[in-house]
Amino acid sequence: MTIKIIFTVFVGFAGGLAVGAGFVAFLTVLKVIPRLTQLTKTMKMIQHYEWAIVLGVITGAWLGLQNNILSLNKAFLVPIGLADGIFNGLLAAALTEVLNVFPLISKRIGIQEKIVYLIMAIVFGKIAGSLFQWIYFVDI
Amino acid sequence: MDNLVYVRMRHRVQVRSNQIVKIKDIAKLLGQPVLVKELEETVLLKVTNEDNNIIIVDLVQLVKEILDQNADIEIQAIGPSQTIIEVVYEKKKVSWPLFIAVWILLFVGAAITIMNFHVDVSMQTVHQKLFKIITGKEDSKPLLIQIPYSFGLGLGMILFFNHFFRKRFNEEPSPLEVEMFNYQQDLDQYVIMNENKESIKKIDDN
Repeated sequence: MTIKIIFTVFVGFAGGLAVGAGFVAFLTVLKVIPRLTQLTKTMKMIQHYEWAIVLGVITGAWLGLQNNILSLNKAFLVPIGLADGIFNGLLAAALTEVLNVFPLISKRIGIQEKIVYLIMAIVFGKIAGSLFQWIYFVDI
Repeated sequence: MDNLVYVRMRHRVQVRSNQIVKIKDIAKLLGQPVLVKELEETVLLKVTNEDNNIIIVDLVQLVKEILDQNADIEIQAIGPSQTIIEVVYEKKKVSWPLFIAVWILLFVGAAITIMNFHVDVSMQTVHQKLFKIITGKEDSKPLLIQIPYSFGLGLGMILFFNHFFRKRFNEEPSPLEVEMFNYQQDLDQYVIMNENKESIKKIDDN
């Protein structure tokens, strides 16, 4: 029995370790945190940002695996949704595929000054696609 | 020592078609002022319509030209060893139909890919569960999370590309500008290697 418990704990721990390392590697590759520190000029606080990520992951994992009910006001959902969206937006924008496409397209059709409009096409596309999905598409 | 001339070739210069390119257009010379003045005015080449829009002048061509002028000159080269001359024909007009087509392509593509992504990671289920955890109630369409989420998505992308805050926050280039630079750098590297007569030698000189 004890061996079974120890083994289960070991397997769970090993799985968590691999997923956690993978998550951090993912964030590192996309350079989202350096980008945010660059924007806000808070390079010195980077250690605290690491902790924010670690604590966020632990909280999310725990809430996701348990069935705790916090019974908070609905208004809390709005900032959470917004933060969720901004973070996902940073990830989406950071994907190198997206970054590599712009220089090419802008050179091909000769609109290097208007590249901002192309970015806005992607940004509005993401917003529209997302809204369309949540409001209409999920009901079909 | 009096005949020493330092030469630094520029990396990339733009010229008009039919322009006469002199040494001073593509390189910076330092040395005895009289000598340098004379050399700078030397005609290197004339851009003709047959030329492609990229001409590469290698350092050895420049050295040859200078030595032809005055064989006593000692040349000391610093910096890049070739110059990319970009021939600018009349300014290319933006083709609006093409631009609009690309815009729509990007818009629709971005919209569909984000929907695919949401389905891929079961975003709907996660939002429903989040709604339950926080409020304690069930909701199959937790729009209170999802609408702020959607706008946050756009905001996050703009934040990453940083063209709202560029002036206010800092002078550092945005990731996109770095990417544009890298792309141009790669193209330059390619033409330097492939269009430069001095750096390729094929069998039989063909």
